[in-house]
Amino acid sequence: MNKMIISVLAKDRPGIIASVTSDLCDLGCNLENVNQMILQNQFAGFFIVQAPEGVSAETIRQELTLKEEANGLTIHVRSLEGDTQMPVEEKEIFLITTSGPDQKGLVAQLSDVISSFGANIVNLKAVFMGGSNPNENVMSYQVPVTKEIDAPALFAALKEKAKKLDLDIRIQHKNIFDVTNKI
Amino acid sequence: MFEDQEIISTIEMVKNENLDVRAVTLGINLFDCISHDLTVFKKNIRKKIIGHAATLVETCDQVGEKYGIKVVNKRISISPIALVGACFSSEQMVEIAHELNDIAKAVNIDFIGGFSALVEKGIANGDQALIDAIPKALATTQRICASVNVATTKAGINMDAVLAMSRTIKKAAALTADEDGLACAKLCVFSNIPEDMPFMAGAYLGVGQADAVINVGVSGPGVIKRAIERNLSQQHLSLGRIAEIIKRTACKVTRVGELIGREVADILNIRFGVVDLSLAPTPTVGDSVGEIFQALGLTHIGVPGSTAALAMLNDAVKKGGAFASSHVGGLSGAFIPVSEDLNIAEAAQKGFLSIEKLEAMTCVCSVGLDMVAVPGNITEQVLAGIIADEMAIGMINAKTTATRIIPVPGKKAGDSVNFGGLLGKASIMDVPHLDLEDIFVEYGGHIPAPIHSLKN
Repeated sequence: MNKMIISVLAKDRPGIIASVTSDLCDLGCNLENVNQMILQNQFAGFFIVQAPEGVSAETIRQELTLKEEANGLTIHVRSLEGDTQMPVEEKEIFLITTSGPDQKGLVAQLSDVISSFGANIVNLKAVFMGGSNPNENVMSYQVPVTKEIDAPALFAALKEKAKKLDLDIRIQHKNIFDVTNKI
Repeated sequence: MFEDQEIISTIEMVKNENLDVRAVTLGINLFDCISHDLTVFKKNIRKKIIGHAATLVETCDQVGEKYGIKVVNKRISISPIALVGACFSSEQMVEIAHELNDIAKAVNIDFIGGFSALVEKGIANGDQALIDAIPKALATTQRICASVNVATTKAGINMDAVLAMSRTIKKAAALTADEDGLACAKLCVFSNIPEDMPFMAGAYLGVGQADAVINVGVSGPGVIKRAIERNLSQQHLSLGRIAEIIKRTACKVTRVGELIGREVADILNIRFGVVDLSLAPTPTVGDSVGEIFQALGLTHIGVPGSTAALAMLNDAVKKGGAFASSHVGGLSGAFIPVSEDLNIAEAAQKGFLSIEKLEAMTCVCSVGLDMVAVPGNITEQVLAGIIADEMAIGMINAKTTATRIIPVPGKKAGDSVNFGGLLGKASIMDVPHLDLEDIFVEYGGHIPAPIHSLKN
């Protein structure tokens, strides 16, 4: 096992994934997972690979950086050796959605409440267009709630924080979004 | 993760379009409570109903909170009292109604339905006792709903029962004259009554049902209306495309109902029955079936084109519901209750909707003449005629129809009436020839079942 995670940042353009995956293939790496997103024309890609035995993360980073030097990619490589699999916990996933006037620190303040209860954010989408139109400033946090987390207290704290921030907040189990959107 | 639009559209359905679960109804079979001793019978039904329903309200609230979808009404339907209490007199039936009213208070539900009789083919002793008890039972309780099925496609129309119900309605109205005949708002006369309907006033648990079952009724007129408006604001659509939008939206709404109903059933360890997708309005702006007609380009519900629009709406709702769930039941269609829908009440008050047009529209809606206030001096014969006409529509078309009509004592057409809460308010509708005493309904007997009932 010589598993690594590689992150790639760049200004978005056609061919980034083709180029990086081709390089990784040349370096003898086998792709396990890829995920990518584009935020305001900026590309972010994550690649989990099995690298050849004995090859270090630093070696992969140097060689990949060399190959992509002309393309303006920012590359980071980290070994996943020793990162154990997350234990399977009984959990219910909630979507916490807020909308309201834009202001600095919204994500920081809401996520601080979530983390103070030991809850993890597994997905976050935030769009801030500015101004006070609530539909243009929407945050949606996907948070698994395990048995160890005091869910009523977490939800109450989030509602209180949202009230202070003048945000409308909705806390709903993920299944409601599944049934209304996924057939 | 969901797309931004998916998240926002779901939030909008709940926040601005009044999507809710209209009713979670716990059906309870009372046949194992039967006793010839009234005291024992009352003790048995109290024990059984409270045993199943003690945590119904709390559970619905918890599940509603979890999904951010309010469960508006928590209710109970029971086996028809005329059957399980067949040995009791009408005075004893009234006592049973009081016991049920107390039980409803004890478990904090707003209505218990099943003070009911099924008399489409004949009136047995228990049925007669129950029908005789209805006026006093409804006038002296708050949470009891009654229904009497007087016709089916298979059996025809029991005209003796129709006339009996006309008299019962008049008596119930008289006993609650100081409340504008409120007792009649808790009484439905049915043709082809469904056994698994979660909506009052007709809900009861049929004899072919489980010992206990959770049925769910979802309402979504606001969601349908907004979906039509949103799509029409972006492009011109033919009615076929609009029907498709209604169908898809109804599908979403049904799935929400089933999700919540199944979870409530699981927690209570009770079998899940059906989801009844009905566009059931409330007297609230934005939660109106009548407003859907305006979204479709009609001046008001009741104008020419309304029956066609309602037919399209009702069918699309059924199709969407059928795709969403394998357990769709009850009425599943569009309700057009006059007083309970602000927009329909307004159309009636302004003269766009007459009682004759309303009757025509019930040919294609899911219920019938619902929450229609009429002048208090309407004769029993005319009232029975209206009920018989509505029953005939149900019988011939093999569909459910009902009449929930309120002759308001001392008031005339155009006067206003306010039943409060979800029952709403309306102007009293004009009934042509309301003082006739035609003898047609007094012949009694049976209108035979139609030829297409001979399927076997």
